[in-house]
Amino acid sequence: MRVIVAGVGYRNLRDHSVGVTVADRLLDRRWASDVVVEDLSYNPIAVGQRLEDEPAGRRFTRAVVVGAVERGGRAPGAVTAYRWDGVLPSDEEIQRAVTEAVTGVIALDNTLVVTRHFGALPDDVVVIEVEPGVQEFGESFSEPVARVVDQVCELVVRLATDAEASARLPRAALGGMVSAPRAWSAG
Amino acid sequence: MCFKNLPIEFDAQGKPFLRAGVANPYGPSSAMPRGAPAQLTPDRIEDLLKRNGFIKDLDFDPVTRVAGALAFHTVVDFRARKVLEARSVATLFRGYEVIMVGRDPRDAIFITSRACGVCGGVHSVTSAMAIEMAIGCVPPPLGILIRNIALALEFLYDHPLHLHLLAGPDYSAAMVGPTNPSLLDRARSAPAPHAEIHGFRTIGELMEDLNPLSGKLYLEALHMTRVAREAYVLICGKYPHPQTIVPGGMSSTITLTVMNEMFIRLAQFFDYSKKLAAIWDDLTEFFYEANPAYQQVGARRANLIDTGIFDDPQAYDATYAGAAAWGERRWATPGVIVDGQLVTTDLHALNIGVEEFVEHSYYEEWSGNGQRQRFPTDPVGNPLSPYHPWNKVTKPRPQGQNWKEKYTWDTAPRWDRQSMEAGAYARLWNTAVARKLPQNPFIESTGTSLKLRLPKGALPELELEWKVPAVWNAFERNRARAYCTGFTALIALNNWLAAMERLKQGDTRTSTPFEIPQRGEQRGVGFWGAGRGYLTHHLTLDRGAVANYQILTPSTWNASPTDRWRQPGPYEEAVLNTPLLEETNDPEKFKGIDVLRAIRSFDPCMPCTTHIHSDAGVITREVNTCACGIDDEA
Repeated sequence: MRVIVAGVGYRNLRDHSVGVTVADRLLDRRWASDVVVEDLSYNPIAVGQRLEDEPAGRRFTRAVVVGAVERGGRAPGAVTAYRWDGVLPSDEEIQRAVTEAVTGVIALDNTLVVTRHFGALPDDVVVIEVEPGVQEFGESFSEPVARVVDQVCELVVRLATDAEASARLPRAALGGMVSAPRAWSAG
Repeated sequence: MCFKNLPIEFDAQGKPFLRAGVANPYGPSSAMPRGAPAQLTPDRIEDLLKRNGFIKDLDFDPVTRVAGALAFHTVVDFRARKVLEARSVATLFRGYEVIMVGRDPRDAIFITSRACGVCGGVHSVTSAMAIEMAIGCVPPPLGILIRNIALALEFLYDHPLHLHLLAGPDYSAAMVGPTNPSLLDRARSAPAPHAEIHGFRTIGELMEDLNPLSGKLYLEALHMTRVAREAYVLICGKYPHPQTIVPGGMSSTITLTVMNEMFIRLAQFFDYSKKLAAIWDDLTEFFYEANPAYQQVGARRANLIDTGIFDDPQAYDATYAGAAAWGERRWATPGVIVDGQLVTTDLHALNIGVEEFVEHSYYEEWSGNGQRQRFPTDPVGNPLSPYHPWNKVTKPRPQGQNWKEKYTWDTAPRWDRQSMEAGAYARLWNTAVARKLPQNPFIESTGTSLKLRLPKGALPELELEWKVPAVWNAFERNRARAYCTGFTALIALNNWLAAMERLKQGDTRTSTPFEIPQRGEQRGVGFWGAGRGYLTHHLTLDRGAVANYQILTPSTWNASPTDRWRQPGPYEEAVLNTPLLEETNDPEKFKGIDVLRAIRSFDPCMPCTTHIHSDAGVITREVNTCACGIDDEA
């Protein structure tokens, strides 16, 4: 079992940097050899190619992906965790995702859709979303997001290292429990 | 005498001057574009819509498979199957001009890079060049050569991406089948003339593999973007926003190992270029033969502009005064083509002919009302328009969309008051006809064509010849872009060989130390290019800080709105000339594929930072859709 813990987001974009910050913080921790922590905040096509570069037999079997996603209907700072059901949108939407990927858009949904479509993602994908409060230049989080960052780091660690804990998460479509409140949430 | 509309003449020494006796030389009626097409007036269009049921609005919002945010409004006569009105709409504001004011100029290299998530590095270099010119700093030869190679590698990322991911699906079986079923039937039995190069026996097979997401050509293009990206990262550290571009060169350490690793990747584009040219030759000729009316899809006057790129280290001195000379020594010759004829290769003439207008754009005028024109001349005394980028001030004024008034965030750049288009093809065209190409074993400029001698790979050595086309349309744009891939790979090869020679001689210096002057005023301009063509950054420094910064991108030219003389922008003009060849009479089933082919052939790239405005037009916060969120609020 090899696990990749990945942050996705933009640097210096306040709450939208939460995925990057979590990855940065977790990089400083000591991990077992089967866990890799990376900032995957770049062109999702390149992310897919990076995942495919793992040698056969050492491909990642689980991904724990964290980032800020503005879904609406959640309070800023709300944390949602779920196992992605892996269901892809229509081909037209995937094409749109690829276009955005190669032209520079970085977003958690896009990264998941593109890497899944091209078969680069492991089957077992745990998604941890943080609802952002602000989207503007800057290094600091808004108060509601700042309050949950430590908690998100710990949650990521648990879900990356405890297979049973991640197995207990509900399977859900992208967005998790926004419309079907079954997934784990906090904040 | 390259100016036909602006009252600019040249003395016996070739020095431009304003014609005497013209009271307001840059006034709207002093210099009107002659012979240009004009949009119908909005009132006339409204009247036609009211009186004819077969005339309908057709909007493309957003236009998909383009970089960034573009919408397109048309009014279509479904009986005559033609477009009566075309309006290009950039739906987002690019605020870099506002962001840059007051900053240390070195920030521009990193901030303006974020204007594009595809080719940010081109902005970094253009910015570095503008600073170099302002402060008087010349990169060492190896720095210039590596900068050239880096640019080529960005294009080798960009061209396949556009050809087979963005534009290619328009010619795929998945698209041609539903829109023109008889054409797909014909394609399935049409032999592909260049099968021995690209491997597809019929045009139908080729169309199948252009299918998005699953087609072999689509997937191969994705792979080739990786090859180019890896090569770029070897010499620039990071893609698409390098951290190694500095005024005066590059901060990278270049070794023989780096060069060899990079070459392994570059060499893969020799065969790939042969294949691209063969594919787009076969596709283009098939469409023309099936229906000659396809030659009108995306057709417009061949009015092209390009600053030239890829400097000669022996010529480039980073001065504005020397620009006319070092520009003509570039591997891609600068130039302006008007109605298919090359009218100048002089960067000074090119620069002083540029103006930007905002009659139909969400900006306020910056000239007029007794305001003093900041710079009446360029740094060597040539006349400048009040609408020139060095005189322009960006004053955003968001408001409701109205075809009679303002409808886009794009401005209307014009050269000699004419609507010009930018693109990889302008590079080919200028270089082919100007015959100023440096001596080299791989590329030959014949005056009517470019001969490209691509080395042996898995495929044998092959000479491609791109010929100046007799018609200018969507197909020729794509075909030229395919040939431009080979042209670019060979320029990279020439520069790689020159750089290796430098390294062998022990010359490893890639940058020149510099200081930003803290006193006085300086001006600079970076004349460079994106994969999509023309790119300039005009910069004014005041006591060490940016006083004005103006970016003019290829898509600013191409997506520009109709101007004050009702002259449409290039997308608009191309769509107005496009016949609707789709095989349906039902407006409900109409996909507008011919219109989309016309627009996508330009490789649209709408710079992608959005700024949200309050009612007063003040930027209050931003949404970054590009690769990094480094922008500051204004």
